[in-house]
Amino acid sequence: MVTTLLFYAFASVLIIAAVGVIASKNPVHSALFLVLAFFESAMLWLLMEAEFLAVVLVLVYVGAVMVLFLFVVMMLDINVERMRDGYTRYLPLGLVVALVVILEIGHVIWYRSQNLPFLTVPEPNPEGYSNTRELGSVLYTEYVYAFELASVVLLLAIVAAITLTMRKRPGLKVQDVAKQVAVNRDDRVRLVKDDAGTETET
Amino acid sequence: MLATYAPVLIFMVISGGLGLVLLFIGLALGKGQKDPEKTSPYECGFEAFEDTRMRFDVRYYLVAILFIIFDLEIAFLFPWAISLDQVGLFGLVAMGIFLAILVVGFVYEWRKGALEWD
Repeated sequence: MVTTLLFYAFASVLIIAAVGVIASKNPVHSALFLVLAFFESAMLWLLMEAEFLAVVLVLVYVGAVMVLFLFVVMMLDINVERMRDGYTRYLPLGLVVALVVILEIGHVIWYRSQNLPFLTVPEPNPEGYSNTRELGSVLYTEYVYAFELASVVLLLAIVAAITLTMRKRPGLKVQDVAKQVAVNRDDRVRLVKDDAGTETET
Repeated sequence: MLATYAPVLIFMVISGGLGLVLLFIGLALGKGQKDPEKTSPYECGFEAFEDTRMRFDVRYYLVAILFIIFDLEIAFLFPWAISLDQVGLFGLVAMGIFLAILVVGFVYEWRKGALEWD
């Protein structure tokens, strides 16, 4: 009963936040609405007793991915007026995507109404059941190949990010502390004899 | 299981409610006189020079994306640490290979100078 009420509360906030993402004029506000949407979906996952996924969603998406999104939004140097122009241009494409999503949701609801045996609602987990523990016990044994592949994908992401964004700027004056420390007197001081025969340091 | 998260829910309700109440008090009790001079941006007595939106250096993006990658690596470590007694030596070796592959990436970005901020 309480969980049903909570589901509706979280789901309605999620929908409001999702509408806010596309409706707000300021792209930074859109990104912050997306943070709220991620947070609410984490709550929904928690209601489905997928604790680990819920916490990871907050940790990775809210904590890291949205920081990246905000950087990108700020880096794009968006002109708000110019962005409005694209509204009618991309409307047909948006309508097609919306139609596909509506059809998919309708499909799921239709499936549910068929009362197929594999679609029964699972029982709530017993006390002391750890979702994270169960996940770990299969992830590192049964699905170990996929797990190792994940590290290769992450390695690829590191290499790709560095190749795309690293650039050496020519003519940049860089301070090399090791060189500064290793310098000695002979590198810097030269003794010059002038006409009067006195030695001067230059 | 959900009952263990009840304190989190109570915390969310109180903090969210407090935020809304504070906003509402400000809205209800404030006089809200708005005139163009009051709402205009103030920049040390000057007119504002330019838009606040400006280009960021792409290197911020690099730092953020490298952070995400190692954040994900940490996310893989948590279930492993919890279920270590179940996965045993096999799981230990599996995690060793996982970390070794990522250390290759770490050494690459270090040697390449991606962590430097010249």
